[in-house]
Amino acid sequence: MAAEERKKEEKGRFIAERRYVDDQRIVEPEKLEAGGVDMSGRWGTLVLPRTIEEFDHSLFEGVKRLPRGGKVGKCWQCGNCTAVCPVAHANPMFNPRYLIHIVRMGYQAEIEKVKDYVYLCSGCGLCSAACPKDVDPQGVMIALSIAFKSGRAKGGR
Amino acid sequence: MTGTVLVVGGGPAGLRAAVDLADFGARVLLVEKRDQLGGAPVRWKYRSLAPDFTPTEEVMGPLIGFCESSPMVEVHKGSVVEGCEGSVGDFTVKVRNEADGTTTEHRVSSVIVATGFEHFDASVDPRYAYGRAPNVIGINELEAMLKEGRVVGHDGRPPKRVAFIFCVGSRDRSTNPWCCTVCCGVSIKQAIEMKQTLGDVQVYMIYMDIRTVGLWEKLYWDSMEKYGINYIRGRVGEVYYTGEKLLVKGEDTLVRGPFEVLFDMVVLAVGIEPGPGTKQAAGVLGLKLNEYGFIAPRQPNVHVDSGRDGIFLAGTCIAPMSIEETLSEGSAAAMQAAKVLKKTVAV
Amino acid sequence: MPEVIRVSKKEDLEISKEDLKFLEGLGADRRAKLAMGTTEDYLRMLEKMKDLEKRGEITIHHVTDEYEPAGVRTLSRRVKKIPTVELWQHKSCGQCGHIPGYISALYWVMTELGIPYVDDTNQTSCTAWNYYGSGTSNPVALSAVFLRNMHAAWEKNAYPLIHCGTSYGDYKECRYLVVMSREIRDRVRSILKKIGRDLVIPEEVVHYSEWLHVMRWKIAERRKLDVSKVSVAVHAACHTYKLMAEDFTYDDTVLGGKKPAPTSSTALALGAKLLDYSNWYDCCGFGFRHILTEREISRSFAYFRKIRPIVRETGADVLLTHDTGCVTTLDKSQVVPLAHGYKETVPVMSDSQFAALAMGAHPFIVCQLQWHLADWKPLLAKMGVDWASAEGEYKAYLERVRNGERPAFIRSPPRNLENRVRGESA
Ligand SMILES: Cc1cc2nc3c(=O)[nH]c(=O)nc-3n(C[C@H](O)[C@H](O)[C@H](O)COP(=O)(O)OP(=O)(O)OC[C@H]3O[C@@H](n4cnc5c(N)ncnc54)[C@H](O)[C@@H]3O)c2cc1C
Ligand code: SF4
Ligand code: SF4
Repeated sequence: MAAEERKKEEKGRFIAERRYVDDQRIVEPEKLEAGGVDMSGRWGTLVLPRTIEEFDHSLFEGVKRLPRGGKVGKCWQCGNCTAVCPVAHANPMFNPRYLIHIVRMGYQAEIEKVKDYVYLCSGCGLCSAACPKDVDPQGVMIALSIAFKSGRAKGGR
Repeated sequence: MTGTVLVVGGGPAGLRAAVDLADFGARVLLVEKRDQLGGAPVRWKYRSLAPDFTPTEEVMGPLIGFCESSPMVEVHKGSVVEGCEGSVGDFTVKVRNEADGTTTEHRVSSVIVATGFEHFDASVDPRYAYGRAPNVIGINELEAMLKEGRVVGHDGRPPKRVAFIFCVGSRDRSTNPWCCTVCCGVSIKQAIEMKQTLGDVQVYMIYMDIRTVGLWEKLYWDSMEKYGINYIRGRVGEVYYTGEKLLVKGEDTLVRGPFEVLFDMVVLAVGIEPGPGTKQAAGVLGLKLNEYGFIAPRQPNVHVDSGRDGIFLAGTCIAPMSIEETLSEGSAAAMQAAKVLKKTVAV
Repeated sequence: MPEVIRVSKKEDLEISKEDLKFLEGLGADRRAKLAMGTTEDYLRMLEKMKDLEKRGEITIHHVTDEYEPAGVRTLSRRVKKIPTVELWQHKSCGQCGHIPGYISALYWVMTELGIPYVDDTNQTSCTAWNYYGSGTSNPVALSAVFLRNMHAAWEKNAYPLIHCGTSYGDYKECRYLVVMSREIRDRVRSILKKIGRDLVIPEEVVHYSEWLHVMRWKIAERRKLDVSKVSVAVHAACHTYKLMAEDFTYDDTVLGGKKPAPTSSTALALGAKLLDYSNWYDCCGFGFRHILTEREISRSFAYFRKIRPIVRETGADVLLTHDTGCVTTLDKSQVVPLAHGYKETVPVMSDSQFAALAMGAHPFIVCQLQWHLADWKPLLAKMGVDWASAEGEYKAYLERVRNGERPAFIRSPPRNLENRVRGESA
């Protein structure tokens, strides 16, 4: 795990402004060749654009069918949940409001980036008490963790 | 009681004023520029009215029917007021029929101005490709489609994915800086109707703020909770027609993400702005316009008072507003005219 | 107490005393005066240039009748005079280095049309890429290099025609600075004095694509190949139309007058099919410094934000552009993505190469397509060029060059104007 983590960190390290490029966007080929020229590593590196080209609600629809995920469609992105969430105050990668929105819209690259953090939810339920739309974000976090685990993050049913 | 009140403009505000005055026992001279009474809701064939989806006929029908048939209301369609002399209690006005050019003279006790609004012409703002690309329409045009129950693109096929772009020609320094107040609610109403009509359609509302004021908020909640309509906070920089679909370029500001997504149809929530009719009436009647071109009341909190004795204001010629407000303004103006009649005509 | 400083004619800025001091420290007040702001400012600069000439401070290299000028409309709606003959070829480092067919094709076209020109060896790099790319250099040095080259052209009594988009944009900005700022003018003059030159400012800064634009109908008359089945996408170069934007050529009959006319107009005049696409206004990926410091992002941008959408949306047979950096970036950046297995590809060349090809120029000897990486064979086939036998001719030609032959077409037709004698300037 540690080695894998390090490798991820090292990916695209030669890119001048590496900090603003998400890992997910960097394609650094271990082995690439064209016309007899070796283009492995840096010479063949591509940085995928961050443009959103599609809205895909299939994962979202799946979450709605999971236990405690049913009310997620009511969320209007006010941020009450994140405001009271103790984890969000400590970790910028965990943000219940944001998670709900990227899942709703099917922003795959963002989901890949933050999905592992959903398990940080402490289950305290403060958000569900604060939510003005009765979304039950605490329950949604549970539904999301199931959805991500079961491979629904790829947008399948 | 005798005595006549001139009502300029036969939209919701003018009609309401005419009906109330006639009921009250006054004669009404109703001058409408177009060949049809009813104002914007009839002209643009609104299917139903926000916030409760009331069929437009239910609200407008009785008003129009009354004015068309009442012996107390003398309707001049296709006509404008050309001259106005005198003062409160005794104005002499000239009404010209635009079709045959004939002019008639009338003596009236007071005047109610209810000349309404025009829709923002979206071709003024090149970002949205309105007038250049097919399937980019205004909310005004969508109403008629919904009324017909046939929402289709230029190829005759129903759209599978639709974007509503909010605040087109509103809240923007390069066009109109004010908020049109009703277009959020109207757009959401239409999005719901679109879902009801087409069923299998994805609808996206691209907005800066949602301003469904007062009880109209329910529209917003229902659209999300019952109809699964999607909301994207952000603005659109460009609509580009690919020859087949509409590429909408914008930003989802909630994720700091620029998007470029293809749509089958783009509906522009075009704003409300003062039209040439309002300018014309204000000119003839000697009324002041504010910096935006709406008629300026003597005091901004008191809409009815035009600043000229005996001339009263109602409806969207003063500021953008909904039909529920417009109708009340018509009644309020009628009350002012009634007060003048009471003072000047022997009861 | 906030003070009000004037930033431009329309805009006052309210600012505290401390902030004002800070900004003055940055030279912000001076920069504000130099801001290459509005169309009004630009027109004012042109007026001031005439004043300076009257006062004898500068010499203007006028586009006189000897240059047989043609008028074009610029974005500012001002009519700009484009000289058509007796041109001083201001070459581009990157073109000569990476895409030599770009310039040889232009020379070939001029020779075919009987346009006299000067191919001066006494020209320096504009050094603008240095400036944009790495922030080295400064306004005085840049302006001095600009005017040194302009003086060399003036000496030869030929009108500078600038091949490189970056030089072109940079020169327009430098001209603005020199005209609007006495300090820069004086410092540049003292530098020029040291090398025996003086301030000669061109009345118009002219890009070669603007020349092709005004010559397009003459070029079309000489068309040998039918290109009516060829579909063309155009990338306009940022440095030509975004730096001093009001000075570039627009034409109401080309793209509705909404996008720059050159290159598109040339393709249209030749009878090709011009196709629009969604990312028209986007940069080619070269950026300003990006290709130097962030090449991975440059190449990715070129491919994912230009090439791929262009191919998907237009399926064009060729992508034409009019700047060194754009041809290079758009062409070379296709290699890596194609190696990764992406499929979209389109040949890239300059408008001069495309015009020359259509006029029957040799694809390799003149247009030197062998230097271009994205596959141009389908395009040549569509234009009716037998590239396989042309390759044979090219090999034989190379043999002759090895034996001392020199390209015949890089030689100007006889000139009508004579060099100016040194010292004749004011
Ligand atoms: C697309 C759209 C949908 C809407 N839907 C709803 C809704 O669902 N619910 C709701 O509450 N509100 C809705 N509104 C708002 C509603 O249309 C207005 O509040 C209402 O029409 C205003 O009525 P009015 O009488 O002031 O003006 P208008 O409806 O504009 O009527 C003015 C009349 O005066 C006439 N006129 C103008 N100038 C002259 C002149 N010089 N001489 C003689 N006659 C003249 C005009 O021809 C017109 O008939 C909608 C608005 C838009 C833009
Ligand atoms: S339940 Fe989870 S998401 Fe909600 S406030 Fe607690 S830790 Fe945050
Ligand atoms: S508090 Fe509720 S409605 Fe607001 S963002 Fe969180 S889940 Fe959505």
